[in-house]
Amino acid sequence: MADGNVSPLRAVAGQKALLARTAHGSDYDPVRDEFMITNFYAQSVQIYRGDSNGEVAPVRIIQGPKTQLVNPDKVMIDSVNREIYVPQGSKVLVFDGDGKGDIAPKRILGPIPGLGASNVDVDAVHNLMVVGGGAGRAGARFQVFDRTASGNVKPKWVIQGPKTELQRLQGPHAIQPTRGLIIAGVRTLEELGGPDNFVGVWDEMKGGDVPPIFRIGGPNVLLQQVRGVTLNFKHKEVIVSDKRINGVLTYYFPEIF
Amino acid sequence: MEGEMCELEPASAASSFIEMLQQQQAEARSLAPTPTAGEKAAVNARKPVRVIKDSFAAYSSIAVDVANDEVVMTDEATFQILAYNRTENTPPTATMSEPKRMIGGLNTWVEFQCALYIDQANGDIYAVNNDTVDRLVVFSREQRGNVPPKRIIRTPHTTYGIAVDEPHQELFLTTQEGAAIVVFHKLAAEQDAPIRTLQGDKTLIADPHGLAVDSTRDLMFVSNFGSVATHVKPQRTAGAGDDGGGGFGSDKANWPLLREGSVPGTGRYLEASITVYPRDASGDTAPLRVIRGSKTQLNWPTALSVDTKRGELYVANDTGNSVLVFNVDDNGNVAPKRVIKGPKSMVKSPTGVFYDWKNDEVWVSNFGNHTATVYSATADGDVAPKRVIRSAPLDSGTPNIGNAFAPSYDSKRDELIVPN
Repeated sequence: MADGNVSPLRAVAGQKALLARTAHGSDYDPVRDEFMITNFYAQSVQIYRGDSNGEVAPVRIIQGPKTQLVNPDKVMIDSVNREIYVPQGSKVLVFDGDGKGDIAPKRILGPIPGLGASNVDVDAVHNLMVVGGGAGRAGARFQVFDRTASGNVKPKWVIQGPKTELQRLQGPHAIQPTRGLIIAGVRTLEELGGPDNFVGVWDEMKGGDVPPIFRIGGPNVLLQQVRGVTLNFKHKEVIVSDKRINGVLTYYFPEIF
Repeated sequence: MEGEMCELEPASAASSFIEMLQQQQAEARSLAPTPTAGEKAAVNARKPVRVIKDSFAAYSSIAVDVANDEVVMTDEATFQILAYNRTENTPPTATMSEPKRMIGGLNTWVEFQCALYIDQANGDIYAVNNDTVDRLVVFSREQRGNVPPKRIIRTPHTTYGIAVDEPHQELFLTTQEGAAIVVFHKLAAEQDAPIRTLQGDKTLIADPHGLAVDSTRDLMFVSNFGSVATHVKPQRTAGAGDDGGGGFGSDKANWPLLREGSVPGTGRYLEASITVYPRDASGDTAPLRVIRGSKTQLNWPTALSVDTKRGELYVANDTGNSVLVFNVDDNGNVAPKRVIKGPKSMVKSPTGVFYDWKNDEVWVSNFGNHTATVYSATADGDVAPKRVIRSAPLDSGTPNIGNAFAPSYDSKRDELIVPN
């Protein structure tokens, strides 16, 4: 319920934490009460106890040549199937959820030329994996695969096209599995920020050039350069980070829960 | 018991759970109405119920315009460059101090400006961007408001620290992603290429932040957080090249190897350190000296500043909540000769430090408490600052949010996790 100019309740930082200052990926695992952070520079996924505070070391680290981690930016945990996903351009690496050290991925989606995976989420209900990313000439898109897809396979369907209003998908997206919805922040192409940024909701099951079911923001409705979204099922909220606002915004959004 | 028995079919808890959810989901989807145009419009205009944001300036870097008696700070909360009188001192009863000049807005390209250099000859302000727009912006002392910079240098991604060697007219930048130092001509503009780069495993550069050049001793100092991977020139093959993003200007001469050159499996954590090089070091050159180890107290060492007269190096020691002072010729696991730290000092998450040679003072920008504090150069221990410039009420919180990419929700504690 934090709001306004508030200091954090807890902060994990410092040398023992092994964090890089530039952390772009995190996810929380409610089953094991852990959260994980990517370290882009050290090529690692670092897992911390859920109640970590201060200069504390991670309880587990996934790092090493077998991992194939290059520049891990985003990360997500599939708590149902106990798997950790790391999107990495032409690949999505999938690790055992309890993995640590120099472990090989249990499976890899890709390499697929042009996959452009910048974020990923899993729908454990429908056994689907939704890979978000791409921009420019290829266009931003959601590519929907079987959850356990591996190798160079075609997506089951793709959500892409001018009616989708997808321009850039940069931050993590979220899936509301009981409604089969994808929720994502759409960044427009300006470098600093623009008036048309929005949070959209798409039907996960409908491929093609389909418009969003809902959109919050844009044009000229507060959001300026959205990054990632996450869901709070308990309070029926969508939580959004915005770079240019330089803050975290929470929207009450009962329509999608 | 007679009769036929059902054969036990083993089923995992997970598969049963999934089946249950699938059934629930099918029901939910069939019940979900298609929103009307009015409902869509209402959602479209919806306002957030909560916004976590620092609405006050959070000083990240600091430098003094000695000739004009001004102190200049960058603000990474509301994206501004702020200038105050050097002798400004916010009274404890005041809400905050008002700056005399502000530069900010979309035309300025000012965003996450993390380091500053002031040209003492003409008052030009150089401000470095970290992680978002890859532009070093230069403003004249007279500029204010939402104005375009007088000059822009297109930089590698994730620059952080800056230093200028005036005798040789060279401008130095750290770059986190490449674990490198790039050197431009001081008056470079737009797409000009660097004139040399220091990068490679021998350098021990690892998530570099602060940078200082001692022109009298021909030395360069770099502060390192420690996370690093090996970089090599990438082999371009069809279909490759999207494992880590774009090239970020990699066709320019002396451009550092960035994400596309990161070698899988080479990621590692080094100790926090201050590495020292000849001023003109380039290529994969080992440092002359390395300050590192438990005695040093280094803990996310960020900005650096040199007192060339005393031969001392100031370190803004972010997570250590301290300012450390070393001799410029220190080496190895050495204790700092002085430490400014403690509640009276008001040092909190310092990310900027500047030694003012004219007034023999050291300035600190405290990202953790909306203050810039100034001390006598020889201050040691838990000493109160000589003056304080404050940008927010005393009791205001500090969210410390910076380019938050990926919030996640901790359902057990009803808390948000915000990586920065």
